[in-house]
Amino acid sequence: MNPMTLNKYQLIIMADDKQVVLERILQVTRYRGFLINGMNAEVNTGNNVATITMTVSSERPISLLVDQINKLIDIKGVKVDNSDV
Amino acid sequence: MTESKTLTGSSLLFEVLQEHGIQHVFGYPGGAIMPIYDALYDSDVKHFLCRHEQGAAFSAVGYARAAGTVGVCFATSGPGATNLITGLADALADSIPIVAITGQVPTAAMGSDAFQEIDIFGLSLACTKHSFQVTDINELEKVLYQAFEIALEGRHGPVLVDIPKDIQLAAVTQRFDKLSHLRNKVKLPLADISKALELLTHAKQPILYVGGGVGMANAIEEVRDFANKTGMPSVSTLKGLGAINPDNENYLGMLGMHGTKAANIAVQESDLLVVVGARFDDRVTGKLDEFAPNAKVIHFDIDTAEINKRRTADAAILGDLKGNLPLLTMPLEIKAWQEQLQQMKTDFAWRYDHPGDNIFAPAVLKTVSDLMPSNTCVTTDVGQHQMWAAQHMSFDDPSNFLTSGGMGTMGFGLPAAIGAQISRPHDTVIVVSGDGSIMMNIQELATIKRYQIPVKIVLIDNAKLGMVRQWQDLFFDGRLSETDLSDNPDFVMLSRAFDIKSRMINKKSEVQAAIEEMLDHDGPYLLQVKIDATENVWPLVPPNTANHKMMEGV
Repeated sequence: MNPMTLNKYQLIIMADDKQVVLERILQVTRYRGFLINGMNAEVNTGNNVATITMTVSSERPISLLVDQINKLIDIKGVKVDNSDV
Repeated sequence: MTESKTLTGSSLLFEVLQEHGIQHVFGYPGGAIMPIYDALYDSDVKHFLCRHEQGAAFSAVGYARAAGTVGVCFATSGPGATNLITGLADALADSIPIVAITGQVPTAAMGSDAFQEIDIFGLSLACTKHSFQVTDINELEKVLYQAFEIALEGRHGPVLVDIPKDIQLAAVTQRFDKLSHLRNKVKLPLADISKALELLTHAKQPILYVGGGVGMANAIEEVRDFANKTGMPSVSTLKGLGAINPDNENYLGMLGMHGTKAANIAVQESDLLVVVGARFDDRVTGKLDEFAPNAKVIHFDIDTAEINKRRTADAAILGDLKGNLPLLTMPLEIKAWQEQLQQMKTDFAWRYDHPGDNIFAPAVLKTVSDLMPSNTCVTTDVGQHQMWAAQHMSFDDPSNFLTSGGMGTMGFGLPAAIGAQISRPHDTVIVVSGDGSIMMNIQELATIKRYQIPVKIVLIDNAKLGMVRQWQDLFFDGRLSETDLSDNPDFVMLSRAFDIKSRMINKKSEVQAAIEEMLDHDGPYLLQVKIDATENVWPLVPPNTANHKMMEGV
C-alpha cells in the first residue's frame, strides 16, 4: 500500500476499559488492511471507559473496519469523524 | 456457599460448567492446570483424555456441532495452550461455540518467561471470538458466565479463558450475582423488508443461497418452508449442506469451486440471490467481480460485518433468521425458471458408471450414504475426499455433516467424530478421511481405543496428498512436489495396534459388502479404500475464474 494514495479516516472509539482493549483494536485494524497513521488513547484511567482516537488509511472502505471494530466484545461505539483529516 | 467449606477457583469452574449443562469435556492435563484436574477428580463432569490438545479442541468442536451445544476443552499452559490454537481458529472460521480453559503459570511468575509460560491471551486475539485472563479470583465466576454467553450470542464462536494456577487454588470470597445483567450490547436490526419484498416480487430467476448460518440459527424449518412456498431453486455452501431437504426437486446441490454444474450455472444466470446465513466466501464465489453478475442481493445475516463485506446487498436483513425469513415467505410465479433448472439438474446429474475394476471414490461415498442409517453424523477431513463427500453424500440436517469449512483443517475428521459420537451416543458416526489427513491426528485412535468409541472410518487412500497433487497436475505443470505418500504406514496393521477392526479393499466388487460389514460392526472400524492416485475432483472452477467456466475433466 502506498500511504500517499490511500483514503484517510479518523475514528473515535469508546470501549470498556480493559487492559487488552488497545491490543484488540490494533490487531483488527492491521488484519483488516488499514494503516495506522496516528492514535491517542486514554486507557486504564480507572473510570471504566477507554477513549481511543485513531487516524487510519486504506484502499478499503472505512465501513469494513468500523463493522469489525464494533464486533469486538468490549467496544461501546465507533464513530468516523472526518472533520479535520 | 457454606462457610465451613472453602470453594476454590477450580471447584467453582466445575460448578459453572454444570450450571451450563456441560456433562462432557475434552482435554489433556499438565503442570499449570493440575488444580483443575484435581477438582475434576471429584466432579460429575466426564472428561475425555485426548492424546493431543488439538484433538481435544476438535473433539469439542465435533461435540458442539453434532449436538448444537457448547463444546468445552482444557489444556495446560505453554505448549498445551498453543496446541489448542488450530482448533480455536477452526471454530472461529466456522462460527462454533467453544469454551476453552487453559491453565497459566501463577500470576507472580507471569511475564518472567517461566517454564511452560506463553502469552496465550495475546495469541488468542486473532483466533477467538473473545478471550479472558483471570487475575482476580472473585472475577472468575462472572468471566465463566460471560464466556458461555459470548460463545452462543449472535454469531457463535470460540472463547478462551486463561486461568493462572494460583487463581485455580485461591478461595472464592465473593459470589457473582447471576441475576445481574451480564451484557447490554443491543444492536438494532437493520431490516430492509419492504425493499426485499419489492425485489422478490420482481424477480424472474431467483436463487436461494443457503449457508451454515441456517443450522446455527436453528432455522431449518423456516428455510425449508421458504423454499417450498416460494418454489425458489436453491443451492448450498459446504456448511449449509443438509439445511435444504436433498429431495427437494428445486434443490441444485452445492455451489462454488467444486459445486454442481447446475448450481453454478443457475447462480450465474440468476437475477436475484436470497442469501441466508452465508458470506460470499471465495471458495463459493470464484472470481468475485463475475459472480452472479446480473443478480440483486437480499442478504440475511446475524453479523453486521458480513453485510457488504464482499458483495453489496440491495436489501440487508439483520437479526434472527427464524423470525425474519417468514416475513418474505410467499408464492412466486417462476415456473419457467424452475423447469429450466430442473432440466439442467437432470442433464448434469452425477454419473457413477466408471470403467475398470478400480474403486471409484464418488461411488463408494454414494453407497455409504445410501446404506447408512438415518440420522448418521458424517465428519470429514480436508481434501479430495471431503469434496467427494460433499458432492455425493446426502444429509438431511447440517448437524449430520461436520467438515472444516472456513479453515480447511486437515486432521479435523477423526477427533471431531469422537466428539460427535460422545454427544450423540445412539447415532452412527462415520469419518470420511484421506491418507494424508488421517495422519495429522492419528494419535486419536488411542482415544477411540480407550473409550471404545464406535466410530466408523472410511479412509479414501490414494497414497497422495490428492488435492495438492491435482492442482500440481493442473496448474503447476505436473511437478509433483512433496505430495507422494506411497510410504504410508500399513493402515490395517496400525488400526489393529489400537484394537480397531479393520479391512482393506481395492476392487470395485468388494465395495458394497465391505461397507455393510463396517456398518454392522458394533465397535470402531476402519475401512481402507484404495483408489487410483490419478482421480481428480470434478467439476473444478480454477482460481480467479467465474463459476460457469468450470473444468469438467481433462
